[in-house]
Amino acid sequence: MKGKLLATLLILFLSIPAAASAHGAKISYQITKAIEITATYDTGEPLSGGQVTIYAPDNPSTPWRKAKCDENGKYIFIPDPSKPGTWDVQVRQAGHGDMIHIPIGEGTAEAASGSTGYTPLQIVLMAACVVWGFVGTTLFFARRRGS
Amino acid sequence: MHIPDGILPAAVCLGGYVTAGAATWYSLRKIGRKEDPREGIPKASLLTAAFFVASWIHIPVPPTSVHLVLNGLLGVVLGCYAFPAILIGLFFQAVMFQHGGLTTLGVNATIMGVPALLAYYLFQLRNIFGKDSRVGTGLFGFLAGAGGLGLAAVLACVVLITTIPAHVDVETERAGIYALTLAHVPLMVIEGIFTALVVLFLQRVKPALLEGNREISA
Repeated sequence: MKGKLLATLLILFLSIPAAASAHGAKISYQITKAIEITATYDTGEPLSGGQVTIYAPDNPSTPWRKAKCDENGKYIFIPDPSKPGTWDVQVRQAGHGDMIHIPIGEGTAEAASGSTGYTPLQIVLMAACVVWGFVGTTLFFARRRGS
Repeated sequence: MHIPDGILPAAVCLGGYVTAGAATWYSLRKIGRKEDPREGIPKASLLTAAFFVASWIHIPVPPTSVHLVLNGLLGVVLGCYAFPAILIGLFFQAVMFQHGGLTTLGVNATIMGVPALLAYYLFQLRNIFGKDSRVGTGLFGFLAGAGGLGLAAVLACVVLITTIPAHVDVETERAGIYALTLAHVPLMVIEGIFTALVVLFLQRVKPALLEGNREISA
C-alpha cells in the first residue's frame, strides 16, 4: 500500500516538469503588410465610428470582415495573402459612405496609397466649369428671348 | 441627403428612377403648356448653378454637419422648372464630385425634387393674404423653404431606415440616421429665413419673377 502511494507520488513528481512546460510562452513575429484606411467626409471631417465592411476578392457578396473605424475615421486590417486580387472596403455611416477598391497581389508596391477624392484645386476648377455652363445657358436663353 | 452609390438596393434605385421619371414628365408637360416655355430657362439655369454649389456650404450642427440644399427655394421661385433643375444639378454633383451617385440619381431627385414642387404649391397659398402682402410672402416663403427641406430630410430618413442592409450594425446605423435627420432642423430654419428673404427681395425689385409662376398653376 505504502509502496503504491510512493509510486504514485513519484509519478506525480516526475510529471510536474512536463506539466510546467505547457505554461511556457513563445512569441514569434513576422512583418506583414497591413492596410490602413481613412474615411472622411468631403469637409475633411472623419467618419468616426463608421462601419467598415471588407469584401475579399474571392467572394464579393459576403463580407470577409465587419468592423468599425476609430474616432479619426481610421481602420487597419491585414488582408489574407492567399487571396490576391481587388479587395473592396466599404465605410458607411448614417447613409453616407463610399467604397474603395484596393488591388493586392504580387505586383503591388510596398507602400501604395489610393484615394477616391479630388484635390481642392481640381474641385474648384470643376465647379467653376459647371457653373460657367449654367451661366452660359442663362445668357443664351436670355438673349434669344430679347431678340 | 445625397445618398451615394452602393448604399441602396437595386430595386429602390430603380423605383427612384420611376418616380423621378414621372415627376419630370409632369413638370415638362406643365412647362410645355406655357405660352413661352423658354421664358423660365434663364432663371432656372441660374438657380441650378446656385443649387449645384450650395451643397459645398456646410453648417456644423454637432455632432455632425449638414449642407445647404435650397430645394424649397428652387420650388418657390421656379415652380414647375424646379424638378428638372434639381435633376440636372444632382446629375452634375454626382458626375463631378461623387456627391450622390448615378445609380441613386432617381432616388435623390425624388427626395429633393418632389418636396420642391410641394413647396411651390404651398407658397401659392400666400394669396390668401392678398397679392401684395409682404407678411404673406415672407411667411409662406419661410414655410415653403423650411417645409421643402424638412420633407426632403424625412423622405431621405425613411428611405435609409427601411433599406439598412443586414451586414451592418442596424442599431448604430439607425441612431446615426436619426441624428442626421434631426440635425436638419436648424438647417430648416436657416433655409426658411433665406427663402423668405429672397422672395421678399424679388417681390420688391422684380415681382414678375414670382407672378410668372402664378399663371402656370391656373
